[in-house]
Amino acid sequence: MSESEMTLGAGHAAALEPSPYGIQSKKLTMWLFIISDAVTFGAILFGYSYLRAGTPDWPTPFQFSPSVVNGLIMTFVLLTSSLTMLAAVSAAKQGRKSACLQWLAATIVLGIIFATLHLREWFHLFADGWSLSKNPLGGPVQFGATFFSITGLHLMHVISGVIALIVIAIGYNTEWLDSGHVEATGLYWHFVDLVWMFVFPLLYLMNVAR
Amino acid sequence: MTGTNHEPGMKEYIAIWVGLLCIVGIETFLTTLHLSTHKLLLALLLLAFAEAGIALLYFMHLKYEKPKLFWTLVPAVIFVLFMMNHIWPDAYRMLNMRVPIQ
Repeated sequence: MSESEMTLGAGHAAALEPSPYGIQSKKLTMWLFIISDAVTFGAILFGYSYLRAGTPDWPTPFQFSPSVVNGLIMTFVLLTSSLTMLAAVSAAKQGRKSACLQWLAATIVLGIIFATLHLREWFHLFADGWSLSKNPLGGPVQFGATFFSITGLHLMHVISGVIALIVIAIGYNTEWLDSGHVEATGLYWHFVDLVWMFVFPLLYLMNVAR
Repeated sequence: MTGTNHEPGMKEYIAIWVGLLCIVGIETFLTTLHLSTHKLLLALLLLAFAEAGIALLYFMHLKYEKPKLFWTLVPAVIFVLFMMNHIWPDAYRMLNMRVPIQ
Protein backbone atom coordinates (compact mmCIF):
# COMPACT_ATOMS: atom_id res chain seq x y z
CA MET A 1 0.00 0.00 0.00
CA SER A 2 1.43 3.38 -0.99
CA GLU A 3 1.80 6.20 1.51
CA SER A 4 -0.98 8.21 -0.12
CA GLU A 5 -3.34 5.22 0.07
CA MET A 6 -2.49 4.78 3.75
CA THR A 7 -3.19 8.45 4.41
CA LEU A 8 -6.50 8.18 2.60
CA GLY A 9 -7.36 5.09 4.64
CA ALA A 10 -6.53 6.85 7.90
CA GLY A 11 -8.62 9.80 6.78
CA HIS A 12 -11.69 7.61 6.26
CA ALA A 13 -11.09 5.87 9.57
CA ALA A 14 -10.94 9.23 11.30
CA ALA A 15 -14.18 10.30 9.63
CA LEU A 16 -15.93 7.14 10.79
CA GLU A 17 -14.61 7.34 14.34
CA PRO A 18 -17.48 7.92 16.81
CA SER A 19 -17.61 11.26 18.62
CA PRO A 20 -15.95 10.88 22.05
CA TYR A 21 -18.79 12.82 23.65
CA GLY A 22 -21.59 11.25 21.62
CA ILE A 23 -22.70 14.61 20.23
CA GLN A 24 -22.45 16.33 16.84
CA SER A 25 -19.35 18.43 16.24
CA LYS A 26 -21.47 21.59 15.89
CA LYS A 27 -22.86 21.04 19.37
CA LEU A 28 -19.39 20.40 20.82
CA THR A 29 -18.13 23.57 19.12
CA MET A 30 -20.97 25.52 20.70
CA TRP A 31 -20.09 24.08 24.12
CA LEU A 32 -16.46 25.16 23.67
CA PHE A 33 -17.60 28.67 22.70
CA ILE A 34 -19.93 28.74 25.72
CA ILE A 35 -17.20 27.84 28.23
CA SER A 36 -14.88 30.51 26.83
CA ASP A 37 -17.71 33.06 27.02
CA ALA A 38 -18.54 31.88 30.56
CA VAL A 39 -14.98 32.66 31.60
CA THR A 40 -15.27 36.16 30.06
CA PHE A 41 -18.53 36.92 31.88
CA GLY A 42 -17.23 35.24 35.05
CA ALA A 43 -14.14 37.46 35.08
CA ILE A 44 -16.03 40.73 34.62
CA LEU A 45 -18.74 39.77 37.12
CA PHE A 46 -16.10 38.80 39.71
CA GLY A 47 -14.30 42.11 39.02
CA TYR A 48 -17.55 44.03 39.48
CA SER A 49 -18.37 42.11 42.69
CA TYR A 50 -14.98 42.93 44.21
CA LEU A 51 -15.49 46.59 43.32
CA ARG A 52 -19.09 46.64 44.60
CA ALA A 53 -18.30 44.92 47.91
CA GLY A 54 -15.10 46.92 48.44
CA THR A 55 -16.64 50.38 47.93
CA PRO A 56 -18.74 51.43 50.95
CA ASP A 57 -20.24 54.53 49.27
CA TRP A 58 -21.21 52.72 46.07
CA PRO A 59 -24.25 54.46 44.53
CA THR A 60 -27.60 52.63 44.67
CA PRO A 61 -29.67 54.40 42.01
CA PHE A 62 -32.43 51.83 41.50
CA GLN A 63 -35.86 52.13 43.10
CA PHE A 64 -38.04 49.04 43.35
CA SER A 65 -40.39 50.67 40.87
CA PRO A 66 -39.71 51.15 38.00
CA SER A 67 -36.14 49.71 37.80
CA VAL A 68 -36.50 46.38 39.64
CA VAL A 69 -40.01 45.83 38.28
CA ASN A 70 -38.62 46.39 34.77
CA GLY A 71 -35.76 43.97 35.57
CA LEU A 72 -38.24 41.37 36.81
CA ILE A 73 -40.27 41.69 33.60
CA MET A 74 -37.05 41.33 31.57
CA THR A 75 -36.15 38.21 33.60
CA PHE A 76 -39.61 36.73 33.04
CA VAL A 77 -39.37 37.44 29.29
CA LEU A 78 -35.90 35.87 28.97
CA LEU A 79 -36.77 32.79 31.06
CA THR A 80 -39.92 32.32 28.99
CA SER A 81 -37.87 32.61 25.79
CA SER A 82 -35.76 29.69 27.05
CA LEU A 83 -38.95 27.67 27.41
CA THR A 84 -40.07 28.50 23.85
CA MET A 85 -36.56 27.62 22.63
CA LEU A 86 -36.84 24.20 24.32
CA ALA A 87 -40.18 23.71 22.54
CA ALA A 88 -38.54 24.66 19.21
CA VAL A 89 -35.67 22.17 19.74
CA SER A 90 -38.11 19.44 20.78
CA ALA A 91 -40.27 20.06 17.68
CA ALA A 92 -37.18 20.10 15.42
CA LYS A 93 -35.98 16.75 16.81
CA GLN A 94 -39.42 15.26 16.13
CA GLY A 95 -39.39 16.67 12.59
CA ARG A 96 -42.38 18.98 13.24
CA LYS A 97 -41.13 21.78 11.03
CA SER A 98 -44.10 24.11 11.30
CA ALA A 99 -44.22 23.88 15.11
CA CYS A 100 -40.45 24.43 15.31
CA LEU A 101 -40.68 27.58 13.20
CA GLN A 102 -43.55 28.91 15.33
CA TRP A 103 -41.60 28.37 18.55
CA LEU A 104 -38.49 29.92 17.01
CA ALA A 105 -40.59 32.96 16.02
CA ALA A 106 -41.89 33.21 19.61
CA THR A 107 -38.30 33.09 20.92
CA ILE A 108 -37.22 35.81 18.48
CA VAL A 109 -40.15 38.06 19.52
CA LEU A 110 -39.33 37.55 23.22
CA GLY A 111 -35.66 38.33 22.52
CA ILE A 112 -36.67 41.57 20.78
CA ILE A 113 -38.97 42.50 23.71
CA PHE A 114 -36.08 41.88 26.14
CA ALA A 115 -33.70 44.05 24.11
CA THR A 116 -36.32 46.83 23.84
CA LEU A 117 -36.95 46.83 27.61
CA HIS A 118 -33.21 46.87 28.20
CA LEU A 119 -32.64 49.83 25.90
CA ARG A 120 -35.58 51.67 27.50
CA GLU A 121 -33.89 51.19 30.89
CA TRP A 122 -30.63 52.53 29.49
CA PHE A 123 -32.26 55.64 28.02
CA HIS A 124 -33.94 56.39 31.37
CA LEU A 125 -30.51 56.20 33.03
CA PHE A 126 -28.98 58.44 30.34
CA ALA A 127 -31.81 60.94 30.91
CA ASP A 128 -31.02 60.91 34.66
CA GLY A 129 -27.41 61.87 33.87
CA TRP A 130 -25.71 58.46 34.12
CA SER A 131 -23.02 57.48 31.61
CA LEU A 132 -19.86 55.38 31.47
CA SER A 133 -17.95 58.05 33.39
CA LYS A 134 -20.64 60.17 35.11
CA ASN A 135 -22.44 59.71 38.40
CA PRO A 136 -25.17 62.34 38.94
CA LEU A 137 -25.54 61.27 42.60
CA GLY A 138 -21.89 62.07 43.43
CA GLY A 139 -19.35 59.52 44.71
CA PRO A 140 -17.71 56.69 42.76
CA VAL A 141 -18.11 56.89 38.99
CA GLN A 142 -17.50 53.19 38.42
CA PHE A 143 -21.19 52.30 38.68
CA GLY A 144 -21.91 53.58 35.16
CA ALA A 145 -18.78 51.95 33.74
CA THR A 146 -19.57 48.52 35.21
CA PHE A 147 -23.35 48.66 34.68
CA PHE A 148 -23.26 49.76 31.04
CA SER A 149 -20.32 47.54 30.06
CA ILE A 150 -21.67 44.34 31.65
CA THR A 151 -25.30 44.82 30.60
CA GLY A 152 -24.07 46.06 27.21
CA LEU A 153 -22.04 42.89 26.66
CA HIS A 154 -25.08 40.82 27.63
CA LEU A 155 -27.37 42.88 25.40
CA MET A 156 -24.94 42.34 22.52
CA HIS A 157 -25.26 38.59 23.11
CA VAL A 158 -29.07 38.84 23.06
CA ILE A 159 -29.08 40.83 19.81
CA SER A 160 -26.57 38.39 18.25
CA GLY A 161 -28.79 35.53 19.42
CA VAL A 162 -31.87 37.06 17.81
CA ILE A 163 -29.96 37.46 14.51
CA ALA A 164 -28.69 33.86 14.78
CA LEU A 165 -32.22 32.59 15.46
CA ILE A 166 -33.55 34.43 12.39
CA VAL A 167 -30.81 32.87 10.22
CA ILE A 168 -31.46 29.43 11.72
CA ALA A 169 -35.24 29.75 11.20
CA ILE A 170 -34.75 30.72 7.54
CA GLY A 171 -32.19 27.94 7.03
CA TYR A 172 -34.35 25.32 8.74
CA ASN A 173 -37.39 26.40 6.72
CA THR A 174 -35.48 26.06 3.43
CA GLU A 175 -33.89 22.77 4.63
CA TRP A 176 -30.44 24.28 4.27
CA LEU A 177 -29.98 23.65 8.02
CA ASP A 178 -31.15 20.73 10.17
CA SER A 179 -32.39 20.10 13.71
CA GLY A 180 -28.78 19.90 14.95
CA HIS A 181 -28.34 23.57 14.07
CA VAL A 182 -31.52 24.46 15.95
CA GLU A 183 -30.25 22.54 18.99
CA ALA A 184 -26.79 24.16 18.92
CA THR A 185 -28.37 27.64 18.67
CA GLY A 186 -30.68 26.67 21.53
CA LEU A 187 -27.61 25.99 23.68
CA TYR A 188 -26.35 29.50 22.98
CA TRP A 189 -29.75 31.01 23.81
CA HIS A 190 -29.94 29.16 27.14
CA PHE A 191 -26.43 30.38 27.94
CA VAL A 192 -27.54 33.99 27.38
CA ASP A 193 -30.39 33.29 29.84
CA LEU A 194 -27.92 31.71 32.29
CA VAL A 195 -25.70 34.80 32.25
CA TRP A 196 -28.72 37.01 33.00
CA MET A 197 -29.31 34.89 36.14
CA PHE A 198 -26.10 36.49 37.47
CA VAL A 199 -26.45 39.94 35.87
CA PHE A 200 -29.92 40.67 37.29
CA PRO A 201 -29.17 40.01 41.00
CA LEU A 202 -25.65 41.43 40.93
CA LEU A 203 -26.29 44.59 38.91
CA TYR A 204 -29.93 45.37 39.67
CA LEU A 205 -30.79 43.87 43.07
CA MET A 206 -27.43 44.79 44.62
CA ASN A 207 -28.00 48.41 43.60
CA VAL A 208 -31.50 49.00 44.96
CA ALA A 209 -31.79 52.12 47.13
CA ARG A 210 -32.18 51.04 50.77
CA MET B 1 -25.61 12.92 34.21
CA THR B 2 -27.17 9.70 33.22
CA GLY B 3 -25.69 9.62 29.77
CA THR B 4 -29.02 8.44 28.38
CA ASN B 5 -31.17 10.18 25.83
CA HIS B 6 -34.25 10.25 28.08
CA GLU B 7 -34.89 13.97 28.07
CA PRO B 8 -37.70 15.64 30.03
CA GLY B 9 -40.93 16.63 28.30
CA MET B 10 -42.55 20.07 28.20
CA LYS B 11 -44.39 19.46 31.51
CA GLU B 12 -41.07 18.95 33.30
CA TYR B 13 -39.59 21.99 31.54
CA ILE B 14 -42.52 24.14 32.66
CA ALA B 15 -42.05 22.92 36.27
CA ILE B 16 -38.34 23.86 36.06
CA TRP B 17 -39.26 27.27 34.57
CA VAL B 18 -41.66 27.91 37.50
CA GLY B 19 -38.90 26.85 39.92
CA LEU B 20 -36.46 29.31 38.35
CA LEU B 21 -39.04 32.11 38.59
CA CYS B 22 -39.51 31.25 42.29
CA ILE B 23 -35.75 31.61 42.88
CA VAL B 24 -35.88 35.05 41.20
CA GLY B 25 -38.76 35.90 43.57
CA ILE B 26 -36.66 34.84 46.59
CA GLU B 27 -33.75 36.95 45.34
CA THR B 28 -36.02 39.99 45.06
CA PHE B 29 -37.47 39.34 48.52
CA LEU B 30 -33.97 39.17 50.03
CA THR B 31 -33.28 42.65 48.65
CA THR B 32 -36.06 44.05 50.84
CA LEU B 33 -34.57 42.56 54.06
CA HIS B 34 -31.86 45.25 54.46
CA LEU B 35 -29.03 42.71 54.75
CA SER B 36 -25.43 43.95 54.81
CA THR B 37 -23.77 44.27 51.38
CA HIS B 38 -21.57 41.21 51.92
CA LYS B 39 -24.42 38.99 53.17
CA LEU B 40 -26.72 40.07 50.35
CA LEU B 41 -23.98 39.50 47.76
CA LEU B 42 -23.27 36.03 49.16
CA ALA B 43 -26.97 35.06 49.25
CA LEU B 44 -27.63 36.35 45.72
CA LEU B 45 -24.53 34.59 44.37
CA LEU B 46 -25.55 31.26 45.96
CA LEU B 47 -29.05 31.52 44.50
CA ALA B 48 -27.67 32.56 41.09
CA PHE B 49 -25.35 29.52 41.07
CA ALA B 50 -28.31 27.28 41.96
CA GLU B 51 -30.32 28.78 39.07
CA ALA B 52 -27.39 28.43 36.69
CA GLY B 53 -26.87 24.80 37.72
CA ILE B 54 -30.52 23.96 37.03
CA ALA B 55 -30.40 25.73 33.65
CA LEU B 56 -27.14 23.97 32.75
CA LEU B 57 -28.35 20.49 33.69
CA TYR B 58 -31.93 20.64 32.40
CA PHE B 59 -32.35 23.46 29.84
CA MET B 60 -28.92 22.83 28.28
CA HIS B 61 -29.36 19.04 28.66
CA LEU B 62 -25.97 18.49 30.28
CA LYS B 63 -27.63 15.97 32.64
CA TYR B 64 -28.63 13.86 29.65
CA GLU B 65 -25.30 13.89 27.82
CA LYS B 66 -22.41 11.49 28.40
CA PRO B 67 -20.88 12.25 31.85
CA LYS B 68 -17.47 12.91 30.30
CA LEU B 69 -18.85 16.03 28.58
CA PHE B 70 -19.76 17.44 32.01
CA TRP B 71 -16.39 16.42 33.49
CA THR B 72 -14.54 18.01 30.58
CA LEU B 73 -16.36 21.34 30.59
CA VAL B 74 -17.45 22.26 34.12
CA PRO B 75 -14.25 21.60 36.15
CA ALA B 76 -12.24 23.49 33.50
CA VAL B 77 -14.45 26.59 33.83
CA ILE B 78 -14.42 26.43 37.65
CA PHE B 79 -10.62 25.98 37.70
CA VAL B 80 -9.97 28.93 35.37
CA LEU B 81 -12.42 31.22 37.21
CA PHE B 82 -11.03 30.23 40.60
CA MET B 83 -7.42 30.79 39.56
CA MET B 84 -8.23 34.04 37.77
CA ASN B 85 -10.33 35.51 40.54
CA HIS B 86 -8.74 34.22 43.74
CA ILE B 87 -5.14 33.17 43.09
CA TRP B 88 -3.53 35.22 40.33
CA PRO B 89 -2.46 38.70 41.55
CA ASP B 90 -4.72 40.55 39.11
CA ALA B 91 -7.69 39.28 41.14
CA TYR B 92 -6.98 41.83 43.85
CA ARG B 93 -6.36 44.79 41.56
CA MET B 94 -10.03 45.80 41.62
CA LEU B 95 -9.96 46.17 45.41
CA ASN B 96 -7.16 48.73 45.08
CA MET B 97 -8.94 50.60 42.29
CA ARG B 98 -11.83 51.64 44.51
CA VAL B 99 -12.34 55.32 45.18
CA PRO B 100 -11.27 56.20 48.76
CA ILE B 101 -14.00 57.54 51.04
CA GLN B 102 -13.75 61.33 51.39
